[in-house]
Amino acid sequence: MKKALFAALTIGAAATATVVARRARRVGGLRLNRGLAALQLALRGGARYAGNAPRLFMLAGENRQQLRNDLALQTAEDVASTLGAMKGVLMKLGQMASYVDDSLPPEARRTLGRLQDSVPPMSAELATGVITEELGMPPEQVFAEWDPEPIAAASIGQVHRAITRDGRAVAVKVQYPGIAETIAADLGNVSLLRRMLRIIAPGQDVDSLVTELRERVVEELDYRGEADNQQLFADFYDGHPTIGVPKIVRELSTRRVVTSDLATGARFSELAGWSQEERNLAAETIYRFVFRSLYDMRAFNGDPHPGNYLFHGGGKVTFLDFGLVKHFTAAELRPLMDMARDLCVENDPEAFRRSLEEAGFVQPGAPLSTDVIVEHLAVFYDTIRKPGELTITGDYSSAVVRRFFDVRSPIAPYAQVPRSYVILQRINLGVFALLGELTATADWRGIAEEIWPFVQAPPSTPMGAAEAAWRGGRAQRLAGPADPVRPLR
Amino acid sequence: MTLLLRAEVQVVAADSNAGVSRLWSGLVERSAAAYASSVPEHPADDGFFGPGSVTWRLSTDLSGPVAGLRSLMIQALHPLAMAGVDQHSDWRSDPVGRLAATSSYVTTVSVGDKSTAERVSARVRRIHEHVRGVDPVTGQPYAAGDPALLLWVHAALVDSTIAAARLFGTRLSAADADRYVAEMVAAAELVGVPAAMVPAREAALDRYLDSVRPELRCTPAARESMGYLLDPPGLDPDVAEIWQDVREGTVAALPGWARDMYGYETPEPLTDGRRTEIRQALGVLDTVFLGEPGVLEARQRLALRTRAARVA
Repeated sequence: MKKALFAALTIGAAATATVVARRARRVGGLRLNRGLAALQLALRGGARYAGNAPRLFMLAGENRQQLRNDLALQTAEDVASTLGAMKGVLMKLGQMASYVDDSLPPEARRTLGRLQDSVPPMSAELATGVITEELGMPPEQVFAEWDPEPIAAASIGQVHRAITRDGRAVAVKVQYPGIAETIAADLGNVSLLRRMLRIIAPGQDVDSLVTELRERVVEELDYRGEADNQQLFADFYDGHPTIGVPKIVRELSTRRVVTSDLATGARFSELAGWSQEERNLAAETIYRFVFRSLYDMRAFNGDPHPGNYLFHGGGKVTFLDFGLVKHFTAAELRPLMDMARDLCVENDPEAFRRSLEEAGFVQPGAPLSTDVIVEHLAVFYDTIRKPGELTITGDYSSAVVRRFFDVRSPIAPYAQVPRSYVILQRINLGVFALLGELTATADWRGIAEEIWPFVQAPPSTPMGAAEAAWRGGRAQRLAGPADPVRPLR
Repeated sequence: MTLLLRAEVQVVAADSNAGVSRLWSGLVERSAAAYASSVPEHPADDGFFGPGSVTWRLSTDLSGPVAGLRSLMIQALHPLAMAGVDQHSDWRSDPVGRLAATSSYVTTVSVGDKSTAERVSARVRRIHEHVRGVDPVTGQPYAAGDPALLLWVHAALVDSTIAAARLFGTRLSAADADRYVAEMVAAAELVGVPAAMVPAREAALDRYLDSVRPELRCTPAARESMGYLLDPPGLDPDVAEIWQDVREGTVAALPGWARDMYGYETPEPLTDGRRTEIRQALGVLDTVFLGEPGVLEARQRLALRTRAARVA
């Protein structure tokens, strides 16, 4: 599926390597094979670099923290030599690639997904310097209490705990000094990016790849956009029974610092030890969050990284990191709704095909029977085509991913993902992978019917009932004069 | 360090396109493996330079490829050094292995402990005993163990490391350059040059290089081998483009007289933008290198020792 491959590449260029590699072998041309060797070189750079470091930290066992601190970046020069000269850009590629490489076992994909962990933390002094520059005072003065020991790695930064002067416990995300300028400058070298991507993705529309990559990464460099998005989600889900989004502390957030309420909870990896019932509830909340945000806010948080969730039991989940949010227009969203309705509600394959064609997913007039199209694309709707309980397994999520990358598919030559929907593939490549790891069971169709604007079914689960009550109260609040929710973009 | 010259020039002469292409990728992998295994895991001591040294810092600088190419190009301009390579190199049987052995040697001497560095240097000196002959171009006899030849090879490496780091690497002050030149006297001694012969400051190094210039010739062997090295045939076009950045960086880093001898036109001075682009290409190469097994761990071993030294 050449075009679909392209689409996937635009969200996470690099490690579709194996997919490209398979094509190269199939085509068998000398040039492609030679490109393959080069590609492996270029990719292993980003990917293996990412993979090695966390492993090393693990090996150190109890000395992990010790080792990490020993390696802490102490000066802006350390930052530059670790992440400058294209290295940060390559690591970004490898990080995004973790969602799109179908040949990686889940643990390897997770390792790649934790790419940022491989960058050593900043020393306390370096972090202090950034806070001082951004907030005008050293952290000990800005905050009532400041923990110089970072609690987590973040995208091109790290997270510290603090207590504000008015007693609010907060998480403060601090960006590595100089990194935004370095990465922005490296992204400016379009010709080198183009060369690398041409090696990685021969025959693709490299200029679009470069554009997409630059836009995505540049967006992440300015924390203010992230703060805006997080506040938007926090306001929307304010009071929600199971979905939590930490609120932003505006006056302590800048281009390189984001301060939000501190959330604590269990990590995704700890869910392995929880009961299946608890795992199901957590999965239901994630599912509701993804599709409620999409249909009601017309927004999608495109970073379903396992590290971006905290779990509290009873299905309560805190959602973190809004660095990669896509906002859709009503016109962009409508075809998605049409497709779901045509296939799942109306059961009208011809209408489904027309909606696909209108949205640009399938070329109009492709010499394919509608049955073939449905057969190959319906897998993406498998969880919601029929009512009743269904378990999302790792096998299912891999099947979805494999189908997405299937270059032998008969519809491959006529299919593509239009650029504005590219990010939605993270639902398939990221969200379903998470739900698969939870082996989550639910009546997904029932939940979808609650959320689908064209159905608006009554609650299908206890969580649905609680959510309905929240929505009712929310509607009343919104009707009031002092509406705190800002208009959607 | 003559070995450096001998081994690296091997890259130069692989003949079939497929061979070069295979050579090129194998080269990164095996150099990386050699590098990783040359950084000691349990060193007996800090070696001849130590974690606070400029030598250690420059040993991980991303300007390394330019430093290596530039030093080969300068070394090759000495007809006797070039003849030694031309007549005694065993690159045909195992080119990549020879290069890996060379990079391993340089790394071991730079960051290994003393006994290991002494052991590998003794081996190089033994090999040099058999590298003797007559240069067909000048008719002069040569011996690889000749301190004068070894000094030339040494000086070219030290000068090139400084020049490459200044253009594309991390900041290098004049004082640090002097320190580096002084530190590297130990490396020259290890391979058989009496310390008294070896320049210990940058100005002295420059004077030495100038003093040898009358002996230099761009022999056909030098021209052919360096041409091959800078423009390896059979590279994939996209890789060749990245290599082109490295080549342009190397030619820009050469002293004017060496460029003249090879017949390169004097290039426009590098703009800041172009310099940044070459740095970025070098960063990609360095990341590729880091991605090879064991390299990151080796770098971290060095980094940890450097940090510890900084604190102490």
